[in-house]
Amino acid sequence: MTVFSSNLSSLREFFNKERILICFNGPISRTLIGEIGIALKDHIESTQSRESAAMDVFGVYIEMSQNIRHYANAMAYGDKEASATVVIAEVDQGHYAVSAGNMVELADGEALLNRIRHLATLDKVELKQLYKQQLRQPKQDDQITGAGLGLIEIARKSSQPLEASLGETLQGKAFFSLRVII
Amino acid sequence: MTQHEQPNLNLPSTQFSPSVEADWQAGRLLMIGESYPENTYEFFAQIIEWTEKFLGQEGRLLHVELRLSYLNTSSIRAMIDIFDLLQEASDSGKPVSVSWLYDSRNPRASELGEEFKEDYTFPFEIAALRS
Repeated sequence: MTVFSSNLSSLREFFNKERILICFNGPISRTLIGEIGIALKDHIESTQSRESAAMDVFGVYIEMSQNIRHYANAMAYGDKEASATVVIAEVDQGHYAVSAGNMVELADGEALLNRIRHLATLDKVELKQLYKQQLRQPKQDDQITGAGLGLIEIARKSSQPLEASLGETLQGKAFFSLRVII
Repeated sequence: MTQHEQPNLNLPSTQFSPSVEADWQAGRLLMIGESYPENTYEFFAQIIEWTEKFLGQEGRLLHVELRLSYLNTSSIRAMIDIFDLLQEASDSGKPVSVSWLYDSRNPRASELGEEFKEDYTFPFEIAALRS
C-alpha cells in the first residue's frame, strides 16, 4: 500500500468510527455552504422520521458557517485564515453533532467563549427571552462577530449546553471551535 | 394612478432566497421558499421598500401571504422589519393581514410563525398547507 492509500484508509476508519456524515476543511464559499446544507438536509430527511431534526441540523449548520464567512469577511482574512472546518456526525439515538471551527483573533475568541458559557447556563425560556430582546437590538451590534442572534438561535436548537473551546494560539490568533448536539 | 406608478415586484426563487410576488393592484405580497441569503439586507431592502410605499400611498388592504419553510436569523430580523411596518399601518387604522402557511411535515415552520405572531396585534393567521 502506498502512504497515500494507507492514510486514506485510516481516514476512512476514523470517519466510520465517528459516524461522520459530511465534513469539510478549507475556504468556504457561499455556494459550498448551500450545497453542503442541501445534501445534509436531504440525507437526514431520508433517514429520519423526525423532520424537525433535519431542519434543526440544517439551521444550526447554516448559522455556524455563515458566522464564519461573515467573520472572515469582516476581518478581511485571506483564504488560509478564512478556512472553516465543519463536521456533521450522527451521535446516539437519532441525535446529531454539528461542529465547526475557524481561526479568530484571540480577544474575539475569548469574548465568544464567555458569551457561549453564559448561554450554556440559560434554560429554553431564558434563551427565548434573550432571543426576542436581541431581535430588537440595532443590527450593528452583531456585525463584528456576526454571532449575536445566531448564537442564541443555535443554543435554542441544541439539546445540550453548547461546548466551545479555543486552541492552537499563533500570532495573536486561535482556533475557535463550537460543537452543538441536536 | 397610471400603470407605471404601480410597481410590482417579481423575484424568482433561488437556492438562498424565496420567490417574491408583490402585486400593487391586488394589494398582495407573497413569499414562498427558504431564506438564507448571504447579503440579507440587499435582498430584503426591495421588499421592505415596496411594503413601505404601498402602506404609505394606499389605504386599501395589504395581505401578506408567507410560505417560508426556513429563515436564517438575519432573514428573521428582516421579516421583523416588514411586520413592524404592518403593525404601524394597522395602528394608524389601515387594514393589513398576514397568512403564515406551513407544510404540516415541518413543525419548525409552524413554531417560527407562532413566534412572529405573538409580537403583533394585526390579523395573523397560521395554517397548515395540505401535503
